[in-house]
Amino acid sequence: MRVKSILSEGKEIQLATELVKLGARLQVLEASTKLSRERLVKLYKEVRGVSPPKGMLPYSEDWFMGWQSNMHASLFINIYNYLIQYTNIRDIDAVIKSYQLYLEHIEVNHLQRILSFTRAWTLVRFVESKVLSVTPCVKCNGHFLVHSLDIQSNHVCGLCHVPSRAGKTKQAALEAKAREQCECAA
Amino acid sequence: METSQILDEIREVNLGYLLLAQHMLREDKVAAMYRLGINEDVADILDKLTTSQLMKMAGSNMLLCRFRFDDSLIAEILTSHKQDRALTQSHAAILMAGLPAEKIS
Repeated sequence: MRVKSILSEGKEIQLATELVKLGARLQVLEASTKLSRERLVKLYKEVRGVSPPKGMLPYSEDWFMGWQSNMHASLFINIYNYLIQYTNIRDIDAVIKSYQLYLEHIEVNHLQRILSFTRAWTLVRFVESKVLSVTPCVKCNGHFLVHSLDIQSNHVCGLCHVPSRAGKTKQAALEAKAREQCECAA
Repeated sequence: METSQILDEIREVNLGYLLLAQHMLREDKVAAMYRLGINEDVADILDKLTTSQLMKMAGSNMLLCRFRFDDSLIAEILTSHKQDRALTQSHAAILMAGLPAEKIS
């Protein structure tokens, strides 16, 4: 569909640029703007300098159940729900704003960026279609993401009950080793 | 500390808080509402305060900003020496974002 008004087209381009900068995939751009696919591809190349990645979007809702990914995704959805409940920002703007606030948290705490923008966008769609939902943890009362169809009467979140191997990734091991070497050298 | 000194410091904190809140709200209202934990009505009031009103408000003998944590959250933050600091920070952020915003009834 062609966009007639130049002003609204300008706004759409601005929105698309912002999305590309945050790391959105082409499918997200197509769903949230009315710009044609060719223009979006061109825009993507201009902003990022490379062609948009091809293939399907990550579509698994099970990904959000992993310990680390659940922590990050739960934080994002809590921010998103707060914004939806108390401010008048909606739809894609709300996703962008909550993702920016999430990124801020990551940066302040020197965490890895586990949740990509595309995943965050997918997450909101999963929650809207009631595939995933949030449930309070019986220990800390924080709201955490769960499968809507699971039994949640006694849900204890991954942060109150940290699994023994949680966070012990290859990356973390490498970083610890590097730190040790630094200390030895100093 | 003498009472007059305490009052002076309260006034300073109040003034700093109000000015910062107003600045944040004018820069980016949505993000500020999330960070301050306030709803639209409170945000509008803060945003519309004139300088003289702001000074009058700050000159109270009570603090204008309130402690935002509930018990479980304090426990969470206090036990942070046991675990990874980033982890407890994330936990605290999840709990805090889930709390209701301050509102005017």
